[in-house]
Amino acid sequence: MLMLVTIFLPLVAAGLMLFLDIRATPTRARWTALIATLATFFASLGLAGEFLRLPSAEGVARAPVQPRMELRHDWLTLERTDAEGNSQPMRLEFYLGVDGISITMIVLTTLLCVCGVLVSWTSITERAAEFFAILMVLETGLIGVFCAFDLVLFYVFFEFTLIPLFFLVGIWGGPLRRYAAGKFFVYTLAGSLITLLGLVSLVWQATLQTGLETPFSLPALSEALRSNPLPDSVQTALFLAIAAGFMVKVPLVPFHTWLPLAHVEAPTAGSVLLAGVLLKLGSYGFLRLLMPMLPSGCWDVGVPLIAVMSVVGIIYGSLCALAQDDIKKLVAYSSVAHLGFCMLGLFALNVEGISGGVLQMINHGLSTGALFCLVGMFYERYHTRSLSQLGGLATRLPRLATAMVLITFASIGLPGLNGFVGEILALMGMFDAQHEFGRVYAALGATGVVLGAWYMLAMLQTAFFGELKEPHHDDHAEPVQDLGFREIVTLAPLATLCVVIGLFPQPLLDIINPDVKALVTVLNNVSHPSTRATQAAAEDQSQFPATSSASFGIPADESVAVLHLVNPSPAQPRPANPGIGE
Amino acid sequence: MLDALVEALKGSLSLVLPDIVLLATVAVVFFGAPFLTDERGRSEAGLRHRWSWLALAAVGFSGWLWYQSTPVEVGDGPFRLDGLAWFVRGLSLATLVVLLLVNWNQVPDGASAESIGSLLAIGAGVNLIAASNDLVYLFLALELVSIPTYLFLFLPRRDAAAQEATTKYFLLSAFSSGLVLFGMSYVFGVVGSTNLQVIGQALAAGQNGPLPMLLPVAAILLIAGLGFRITAVPFHFYAPDVFQGAGTSGAAMLSFVPKVAGFVALIRLLIPSGWMGPDAQTLANLTGPTVWWLAVITMFVGNLLAILQTDVRRLLAFSSIAHAGYMLVGFQIGRETHAGIDGIDALLFYLTVYGAMSLGAFAALIATSDESKRYETIDDLGGLSRTRPAVALLMTLFLFSMMGLPPTAGFLAKLNLFFAAWSQGTESGRWLAIFLAVNAAIAAWYYLRIIAAMYLREPAHAENRHQEPAASVAMACCALVVLGLFFAPDWLWRAISVVS
Repeated sequence: MLMLVTIFLPLVAAGLMLFLDIRATPTRARWTALIATLATFFASLGLAGEFLRLPSAEGVARAPVQPRMELRHDWLTLERTDAEGNSQPMRLEFYLGVDGISITMIVLTTLLCVCGVLVSWTSITERAAEFFAILMVLETGLIGVFCAFDLVLFYVFFEFTLIPLFFLVGIWGGPLRRYAAGKFFVYTLAGSLITLLGLVSLVWQATLQTGLETPFSLPALSEALRSNPLPDSVQTALFLAIAAGFMVKVPLVPFHTWLPLAHVEAPTAGSVLLAGVLLKLGSYGFLRLLMPMLPSGCWDVGVPLIAVMSVVGIIYGSLCALAQDDIKKLVAYSSVAHLGFCMLGLFALNVEGISGGVLQMINHGLSTGALFCLVGMFYERYHTRSLSQLGGLATRLPRLATAMVLITFASIGLPGLNGFVGEILALMGMFDAQHEFGRVYAALGATGVVLGAWYMLAMLQTAFFGELKEPHHDDHAEPVQDLGFREIVTLAPLATLCVVIGLFPQPLLDIINPDVKALVTVLNNVSHPSTRATQAAAEDQSQFPATSSASFGIPADESVAVLHLVNPSPAQPRPANPGIGE
Repeated sequence: MLDALVEALKGSLSLVLPDIVLLATVAVVFFGAPFLTDERGRSEAGLRHRWSWLALAAVGFSGWLWYQSTPVEVGDGPFRLDGLAWFVRGLSLATLVVLLLVNWNQVPDGASAESIGSLLAIGAGVNLIAASNDLVYLFLALELVSIPTYLFLFLPRRDAAAQEATTKYFLLSAFSSGLVLFGMSYVFGVVGSTNLQVIGQALAAGQNGPLPMLLPVAAILLIAGLGFRITAVPFHFYAPDVFQGAGTSGAAMLSFVPKVAGFVALIRLLIPSGWMGPDAQTLANLTGPTVWWLAVITMFVGNLLAILQTDVRRLLAFSSIAHAGYMLVGFQIGRETHAGIDGIDALLFYLTVYGAMSLGAFAALIATSDESKRYETIDDLGGLSRTRPAVALLMTLFLFSMMGLPPTAGFLAKLNLFFAAWSQGTESGRWLAIFLAVNAAIAAWYYLRIIAAMYLREPAHAENRHQEPAASVAMACCALVVLGLFFAPDWLWRAISVVS
């Protein structure tokens, strides 16, 4: 019930705003939106609370993808004729559910939506009711993706998010907004149509092979395919088709060209949600659909292809970010790099890597969301985002500068902040991974951390330190003010979470770990024959809890305990720790 | 003897009772109209609304009769009421309601009786196409659709463009009827019967006649003639000009009703009802890859040319060509799937959804325009979201549905076609699915242009307070179908499963 409230409350609020009060004053619109998004946020917290009170899922027999709370309702029953000419039903369902990975993403979404409303408080005055309504429609779509446990329903929400974002960018965006909105829309639609074809053929193959009545339900499908996997060649082809849409969405280089454009042109709230949540739909799709359904596809094409693309993305994104003058574009390219880390972690295909990837999804949402908020606040003050016109602003705007420094550090991955935990887990997962070039990918990825520190610190240094250089702004009568109360309220939860997750990542990892482990079990069943034995051994040992966390020589940190828990082999070489060097 | 004849007549007529109601109303309207019109062709204001109410009542009564009826076993009489006939009758009666609403204010009062009468006759014709069990009746029913269409296109507007459009349609339509008749005569020549049931069984039994080449020729002639109705490329040339030149209600009718007529006739002629085993010969599988190529070319030509258009009606004409291509995919898959989703079911689902979204889009165009000003180009629609937010919102819904985006029925309709094409399990079926996906992506671009014009631009015209309540009701009905069939598709799917 709470799940339905969380999903549809924003939609209902948006509908009411559009149909009853479309000519509302900006003040009324923004308060309505704030109340609605806050209510959704609390509903999602309630849902999370309910989720945490569930009895532990450890040790219970389960499908590779299994929601722990669910709601199902019949949607469409297709008739298919089987080989004997009998007709068999194939059911599509409205199958909503929540598991550990999705609940964290849902709370992240609802939180970022509140921030999105707050950050648009004064900047959106034109067609405000429509703006906030569309923002909330987007929220419904995003939460829906994370709740969907039916293939078609997942795709429905996945595609649906395009519509509100198209309007957000196209109506309230920057000077190139129409082009950016159109390109974003058509590019991602083309990608996801290939995904749809892939999903159709996946379901069809699975139906032929297993005779499932509900081949669209993720738990049933993953369970059936675990005991009765598709042939390797089929998996390879299906992986490429289904991954197409997700690769565009993530985006992996070279399918990233829509992203900087859309980010730069989008209004601040649009950028926050685009970076914070929308990009995660891609990596979530890999996690939710490809890994459980096509494990050998993941090993055979996924690892070489996606890992190379992620490494290229990390380095190329960082270099591009280094070359930018526009802060927003810099942050947009840094997203390309950060999502590269996330994908690198996921495609380590082991527990550390995948938990690191999931954590990185959350971290990137928090820190990049906050960065886009800050850039937006900055732009409202100076009407420029060009680094060459700025300098030494820390004296002028001490609070903004402090927030910027903190969030930038989180984004770089400084120990003690959230980015560190995610990045190191992802890189260590890759270092440990059971494939040939795992260490090479990890090492190359680690250079991205250095590059990341470089462009972020260079940006900080230029804009906030050194000689004071303010852009010319005679035309604005008001003097430039430091962060106000509303802005601090916007940033405070994000910054707090950055610190809290950095210091105590274990509770969060405990939430996602059961689901990650279930995934890894499937993946290990089909890993390369040469490595299968060692993998199985490592899996056995991982059952024993770790008692010491000192062996890495890092100060006792919750994150290390996790690393240790899943990686206790003393013969393992000490992994390079890229986060420390900065 | 006489009693037996009367019994047979009664039995046959009872199968087409709803259509008789419609045709009787047509007779009343045509007969009454001259008494209410003066010599100069004018009549009192508001007459068109009274005729429309009468027509709605007739459709309602006919609908009630339809609702009471259930499919019956196919006999050897001239008519049949099988699942397809039952389904198509429901669809065409619903379409008539929407078209009557769309046409509410589109014709001058003096010409209204003829316009409304033609519309009812067209509806009855579509019903009879589905209900005919005989080549002769099928042809007559096809003409019952064509001839009133000329009148219906001509009546609302009498400027040069409308005249040209009507003439063009008349000439090509007559030509296509000739092709169909030619094809039918060959079929008769081979099988020796005009009864569809007999023809189907004879073909399934492998009876090819003395000249085996005649049957493929007949099938191709039938496809060509009916391809004109469904605007399949290369028989589509008239569509853009006629859509642009004719009145909006005429274009709305043309975008949908001839497609129903054409596809139903194709199904009747080429794919006999009832499962006759995988190797049974039908006219459809004598044509080889013709329909496959027709579908692919139609999709690509429709979509690629639509990108170039600036006139909304021409754009919708090319879009309707593209949709015909999608539906031909379903037709090509046909009932041949040994283990899969039935292509004809997917086609009928798509046809219904396409009707709602296409009629809805034209209703939206009517709702935005007033008598003095027609919205012609995409630029004319600029900023519509500011001047007419509700119309713009619904138009956007229809366009997203045509694009195949959730949460609209257009998405499920495309999904069904994907499934049908993929589950055929052949290379050619997979290629059809892939081309369908490619085309769906191309199509997004031009639909998006209209949406972008409505939402991302400043208004092109001053605020337009003109209201078209009837068109708005039609639009709302279509929107209800487009959204409702997304959330409860089983409702339509169950009706379609009666067909097979």
